[in-house]
Amino acid sequence: MKQIAYLLAIILALSSCEKFLEENPTDRQSVADSYNNITDLYLNAVAARYHDVGGKTNSCGLQGTGRGIYDLNTFTTDEAIMPTRGADWYDGGLWQHLFLHDWNGLDPIGDTWNYLFKAIIGCNDGLEHISLYASLHPGEDVSAFDAEVRALRAMFYFYAMDLYGRAPIFSSSEPKLEELGLCSRSEVTRFIVSELQDAVPLLANDMSNLPGEYYGRMTQSVANFLLAKVALNSEIYFDDDWTDASRPNGKEIRWNVDGKDMNAWEATITFCNRIKDRGYTLENEFAANFLIHNEYSKENIFTIPMDKNLFDNQFIYLFRSRHYNHASALGLNGENGASATVEALRAFGLKESLDDFSDTDPRFFASYYFGQVYDLSGNPVLLDDGTELIYEPWAVALDVSNTKYEKTAGARMKKYEVDPNGTKDGCQSDNDIVLFRYADVLLMECEATVRNGGNGDDIMAQVRDRAGAPAIPATLQNILDERLRELAWEGWRRNDLIRFDRFTASYTDRPALPHEQETHYTIVFPIPGEVIWLKDGQKQNPGY
Amino acid sequence: MRHLSLLVLAITAAVSMAQSQDSTVAVGYAQAGALTISGAVETIGENQMNKKQVTNPLEAIDGRVAGLTIEKGNNGVAAMNAVRVRGTTSLTGGNDPLIIVDGVMGDLNTLSSVYPADIANFTILKDASETAQYGSRGASGVIEVTTKTGSSGRTSVSYNGSFGISSVYKNLNMLSADGYRKYLSDNGLMLIDKGFSTNWQRKIEQNGFQHDHHVAFMGGGKDNGYRVSLGFMDHNGVILHDNLRNFTSNMNMHQYMFSRLLRIDIGMFGNIQKERTAVYDVQKTFYSAATFNPTFPAERNAQGGWDGFAYANQINNPMALMDSRTATKTTHISTHAKLTFDISPNWKLSMFGAYSHNEVEGNQFLPTSIWAHGQGQRGSKKSESLLGNLVLNFDRNFGKHHIGALALAEAQRDTYTGFYTTTTNFTVNRLGYDNIQAGALTLWEGTGSYRETPTLAAFMGRVTYDYDNRYSLTATARADGSSKFGKNHKWGFFPSISGAWIISNEAFMRNALIVSNLKLRAGYGLAGNSGGIDSYMSMNLLAPNGIAPVGDEAVVTLGSPRNTNPNLKWEVKRTFNAGIDLALLKDRIIASVDFYTSKTTDMLYTYNVPVPPFPYNTLLANLGSMRNNGVEVALGVTPVVNKDMELNINANITFQQNKLLSLDGFYNDYYIMAPTYKDIASLNGAGFHGGFNHIVYQIVGQPLGVFYLPHCTGLKSDGSGGYTYEIADIDDDGDIDLSNGGDRRICGQAIPKVLLGSNISFRFRQWDLSVQINGAFGHKIYNGTALTYMNLNSLPGYNVLAKAPAQNIKDQTATDYWLERGDYVNFDYVTLGWNVPLSEKVRKYVKSLRISATVKNLATITGYSGLTPMINSTNVNSTLGIDDKNTYPVARTYSLGISIHF
Repeated sequence: MKQIAYLLAIILALSSCEKFLEENPTDRQSVADSYNNITDLYLNAVAARYHDVGGKTNSCGLQGTGRGIYDLNTFTTDEAIMPTRGADWYDGGLWQHLFLHDWNGLDPIGDTWNYLFKAIIGCNDGLEHISLYASLHPGEDVSAFDAEVRALRAMFYFYAMDLYGRAPIFSSSEPKLEELGLCSRSEVTRFIVSELQDAVPLLANDMSNLPGEYYGRMTQSVANFLLAKVALNSEIYFDDDWTDASRPNGKEIRWNVDGKDMNAWEATITFCNRIKDRGYTLENEFAANFLIHNEYSKENIFTIPMDKNLFDNQFIYLFRSRHYNHASALGLNGENGASATVEALRAFGLKESLDDFSDTDPRFFASYYFGQVYDLSGNPVLLDDGTELIYEPWAVALDVSNTKYEKTAGARMKKYEVDPNGTKDGCQSDNDIVLFRYADVLLMECEATVRNGGNGDDIMAQVRDRAGAPAIPATLQNILDERLRELAWEGWRRNDLIRFDRFTASYTDRPALPHEQETHYTIVFPIPGEVIWLKDGQKQNPGY
Repeated sequence: MRHLSLLVLAITAAVSMAQSQDSTVAVGYAQAGALTISGAVETIGENQMNKKQVTNPLEAIDGRVAGLTIEKGNNGVAAMNAVRVRGTTSLTGGNDPLIIVDGVMGDLNTLSSVYPADIANFTILKDASETAQYGSRGASGVIEVTTKTGSSGRTSVSYNGSFGISSVYKNLNMLSADGYRKYLSDNGLMLIDKGFSTNWQRKIEQNGFQHDHHVAFMGGGKDNGYRVSLGFMDHNGVILHDNLRNFTSNMNMHQYMFSRLLRIDIGMFGNIQKERTAVYDVQKTFYSAATFNPTFPAERNAQGGWDGFAYANQINNPMALMDSRTATKTTHISTHAKLTFDISPNWKLSMFGAYSHNEVEGNQFLPTSIWAHGQGQRGSKKSESLLGNLVLNFDRNFGKHHIGALALAEAQRDTYTGFYTTTTNFTVNRLGYDNIQAGALTLWEGTGSYRETPTLAAFMGRVTYDYDNRYSLTATARADGSSKFGKNHKWGFFPSISGAWIISNEAFMRNALIVSNLKLRAGYGLAGNSGGIDSYMSMNLLAPNGIAPVGDEAVVTLGSPRNTNPNLKWEVKRTFNAGIDLALLKDRIIASVDFYTSKTTDMLYTYNVPVPPFPYNTLLANLGSMRNNGVEVALGVTPVVNKDMELNINANITFQQNKLLSLDGFYNDYYIMAPTYKDIASLNGAGFHGGFNHIVYQIVGQPLGVFYLPHCTGLKSDGSGGYTYEIADIDDDGDIDLSNGGDRRICGQAIPKVLLGSNISFRFRQWDLSVQINGAFGHKIYNGTALTYMNLNSLPGYNVLAKAPAQNIKDQTATDYWLERGDYVNFDYVTLGWNVPLSEKVRKYVKSLRISATVKNLATITGYSGLTPMINSTNVNSTLGIDDKNTYPVARTYSLGISIHF
C-alpha cells in the first residue's frame, strides 16, 4: 500500500515529469568526465587509438585477424592461396574470388574500409579532445600527444590510400558533408607525407618494439618507415590515373626532406638511413624476430604487442593454416587452410622432386611447414588413420577438392614460433605480431638505390647473408623475389607486385581478368557505394 | 487488391461472433459493453482454449485467434520462437505483443510465471483503436491475461495433472556406416573406420517423460473471495539432458469495504523455472549428429574422453557435445494491488500499483573436448519494475444515450542490472560451472556488468458514446513520455477513434429472424513503438573499449561504442481497421471478418550508414516506412447440438501482406540510403563462411524477407563423374556474377501469406474429441540442410544424406535449386476426453472428474523435403526462412490427463 501511495505521489509530481524522464547513466561515463586530466587525456584520446592497430574481429586490425587488410594484401597475390578443400574453405567462393581478383561485392572490401575510417574518425576525435584540453590548460604541453595521434591517423590513411586509391580527407570527428568528397590519390599521399613529416620531430625517438613506455606505440622510426614506404611507392601513389598505360617516373617526383629537394628514390634512402641511424640492425637469426618472446628483437620496428594474459588482440594466421592433426599435436587448433602458391615455392627454389634442397633458400624452412611435421616432442604428426601427415607443397591449387591431397596439399605457414600455451585455439599467443622490420628497410633502400641507377648488391647481400643465402646481383627481378623470400606471410606482397607492375599478370590458377592487364584497374579495390553516393556525381574507381 | 475481393467473398460467406448482449469485457483500462465494442478485440475464455498439455500459456490459444501467429520453434522444451499480432511491423524489435497479466505489464517471459490452468481468459487487442490505450507499447498488439479469482459462496479444490512422453518420429536419413564405408572406399577417399555403426542422431535422443500437476483452492464470502494455486511442471525433452521444471504460484484475493464503497484486489504470481540442456549451440549439435563419422563408437575412449575426427573441424563428436551443460534459472515474482472506489453510481476511481522482480541466472560449461581449453560462464540479469496508475471512470445513461469516459495517469520505472564472468583454460572438466576458478580468469573479455533505469510516463483520456445500442463511437488520446529518447523527442501522442453500427438492432432488422447479430466496425489510430532500443542510445557516452599497453602495463581505456543519435524518437504505426460480425440461426453460425491496413513510419532501424561521416557503419535512426495489410476471417459453425451430441467447427484464416516502403531519408545533412539488397539471413557451416552465402534479403518495395538467389537451371556434369549446379546468366552479359545486382533474382518470400487455424470438437454424451489443425501457406523455405548434406565434397569429414551418392552433386553453391515451397498443414493435437459419470454418493465429495488422452504434433502434411516445414518463418532475424542444419528432430507427445474438482 505504501508503494501505491508512493506511486501516486510520482504521478501527481508528473507535472514536473521532465525530470522523471531524464537519463542518469551510471554504467557509462560522459564525455565531459573523460578527458579532465592529463592521464585521462592520454588514455582516452591517445592510448585508445591503439585498439585499432591490432584486432580480434574480422576485418579489424592491421594484422592478426582475417578478412581484412592482411588478407586483401596476401590472398590476392602469388604469395599465398586458400585452396578449397572439399567442404572446407569454399566459403561461398570468397577465397577463390579474391585470388582471381573478381572481388566485386565481397564483404571484406567494405568491412576493411569501415574499419580504417572508424580508426581515422577515432583519431580525429582524440585530436579534438587534445586541442580542447590544450586551450583549457594553456600551461601544459600536449604537442607530443597531438603528433602521436596525427601520425597514427596518417598510418591509417596510408593503408586506405594503398587499398582504395582515393579517400576523403577531413579533420573532424563529425565531418560535414562538404568535407567528404573523395580526394585524388596524390592529394591523399601528400596529406600523409606532410602529416608524418610534421609529426616526426615531436614523436619519441624510442624503440617501439621494446616493452616500456613506448611499447607498441608510434615513434619516429615507425613514422620514418611509413615515409620510406610512401616514397618507394611514389610512382604508384602519385599516379591519379592508374588505368592509363603510363605512370610518373620516380626520378622526377620531387620530395622535400629536411629542407632538401630530392627525387623519390633519394627520399626513400634518406628515410631508411634515419632508421638505420637510430640503431636498428639485423638479428643474427632470421627466426629470432618471430619467437614467442620477440620483444627484444633488434630488428623489429613496429609490432602489435601480444600477451595472452594481458591483451585481447588475436593472431589467427598459424591457426588457420595448419592441418587439424598438426594443430592438435601441438595442443592447439587448426583450420587447415592457407598455403604457399606454386610461384612462392619457385621463388624459394624448391625442387618439385623434394629430394634435393641444395638450391632452396634457407628461409623456406623457417617460413613453411612441408613434408613431414613433428609435435613439440619431436614425434611425427599422425593423421586419424594412423599414417603420417605429409604436407604436399606442389599439390596446391585453387580447388583441391576430390584430389588425393585434398587435406594435405600446400606448404603451410610457419615463421612464428608456436606458443604451446596459446589460448583461443592458439590465436592468442605471446609472439608480438611484426608489422615493420629492419630487413624491409634494407630491401627498400636496396630497391631505391637500384631504381635511382645505383648498385644495391651490397645491401641485398646483408639480408641474404644473414639468412645464409649466397649473394646475388640486386636486379629488380631479384629484389622482388628476395622480398617474397624475406617477407613471406608479412602482408606486403600486393604492394610489391603493384610497384613492380606484376599484380595484374597471369600466374598459376589465375588467368588475368578481361581488361585487367591493359588498365590495371584491380590495383585498387572499389570504394563502398554508400561513400560514393554521399556526393552527387561522385564516381566509383574506374573499372568497377 | 486481391485481398479486397477476398474480403468481399469472405463477407458474403460470413456470419458473427456471438456475444451475449448484456456482458461487459475489460478492454485495456476500460470496461466496454461487448455489444458495442468497436475495435478488433477477441476474448478467449477457458472453453475456447486448447486442450493439449501446454508448457507456455500461449500454446493454449495457438491457432485460436485470427491474426495471431505463435511460432513454437523447435528449439528446446519451452522456447517460444516468435509471437506476432498481425505480423511484423517494425524492423528493430518490439514486434512481440505487450503482455499484461492482471494489470502487470511484462513481456513474453512473464507468461511462464503463469500456469495455464490459472488463466480465466485472454483478451487480444489487435487494432490501433484499442491498442492506443497502451500508447507507445501497443504497436505490436496487446495480449491481456486475466487469472482466475475466487467468488462468493463457492468453495472448491481442484487438481489437474497430466503425464506424457515425447518421442522422436522423424530424423534425417543420413548415409549409414556401411554406406559411408562403401562410398569412401569405392571412391578412393580416406576412410577412418573405427568399425562401429553409429546412428548419432538416435544416440543423442531420449524419450522425454513429462508430468504436470496443479492444485487450486478457491472460495469466498459475501464480500470477499480468494483463489490460491500451486503448479509444477517437469518436462524432459527429446534430446539427452534437456529438462525444464517450472514451479508456479498464483494468489488473488478481493475484499469489499465500507458497504461496497471500496473494493480491494491484491494478487501475486510468480515462478521459479529451471532449464537445463546440453544443446548450447543448436546448429552445431544437429549438424554434428547428422554428419559425424558413423563408424565411430558412441562410447568414451580409454582416456574417458570422446574420439574426435580431425577432418570435421566445424562439428564435434555429438556425445562430447552432450557433456556440455547450460542451465538457466529464472525467478519471477509480481505483486499487485488495486483500490477501486465506487464514488457514485457514475464515478469510479481506481488506483493500481505493481512491483515485479525478475532474475535470470545463466550458467554454462563447455568442456575441453568441444571448446579449446574449456569455457565456464556465469551471469545474472535482473529486472525490477515499479508501475502505478490512477484511473477515473465515468459511466452514465441518459435515456437512449450512454456515455463512458476514462482518464488515466501512469508512471513506470524499470531497473535492469546484470553481470557475467567467463573463464577459460580449464585443466579439469569435473567442476564445470560450479567452480569457474578452475579456469584461469580471462581478464578483459570475460567480465562485464551494466545498469539501466528507463522510465515511462503516460496520460490518457478516452470517451465512448453509444446511442440506443445501435451506434457507438470511441475516441482515445494518449501521450507517452520515455526516457530513452532524445531531449526534444521524449513525448509521443497517440490518438485513435473507432465506431460501430449494430445493424441487427435496427428496426428494419427486427424481422430478419435468422440474423441474431450483425455489426459493422471501423477504427483508426496511432500507436508507438520504442521496443528494441536500449537506454542511453541518444547520449554520447564512453564505455570501456579495450586494453592498450601503457608503459609496462595493460590499461583499460574508454571509448564511444557506437554511433550516437540524439534525435531518436518514437516509431509510429497508423492502422485502419474495418470489421463485420455476424451471427445467424441463433448463433449456430457465427462469423467475423476484419480488414486492416497499417503503415509504420519514422521506422526505427539500424540503418547502414557510410563511414565516414559516421565512425561505425550502423546507426539506429527513424527513417523508413513499411506497410502491412491483412484480412482475418473467423468462422464458427455448430451443425449439431442436442443433449447427447454437439459438433463445433471453428476456423480462422489470416491473409497477411507486408511491404517495405522505404529505408531512406535525411539524417541531419546526410541522405541515408539503404543498400538496394541488404542480406538478413545467410548460410553457415563448413565452407559457408562469407562469400555468396546470403539467402534472405530485405529489399525496398518487397515484403520483409525475400529470397534473392542465383537461378539454377539444373545439374550439369563437372566432367569427372559428378554434378554441379548450372547457374543461369540472368542478365545475359556472358558472365556469371553471384554478387548482389548480378545474376540473382527475387524468388519468393519467407513469411507465409496465409495462416490457418482450425478446431473441430465433437461431443457424444460424456465423451468428447477435439482436433486442432493449423497451417501456413504461400511462403518458401531454403533447404540449406539439403544443400550441405547433398554435397559429396564434404566427405569424408562430414557424412551426407543417404540419397546423395545417387544424385552425385559435388557443389555447395547457394542457388534456388534448394528453395522449396513451405506450405503445410499441421495436426497440432487430438484429444479424447471422458467426463466420468459420477454417482450421487460420489458427487457429494467429487464434483467432477475428467480423464483425457492427447497426442500432440500428430502429423504434418507438406511437400517440403526437409525434416519439418515448421521453421522460423516469422522472426526477422538471421535464421528467417532458412532450414540450415539446425532443426530439432520431429517429436510427438502422448499424454494422459486427469482433472478433478472437489
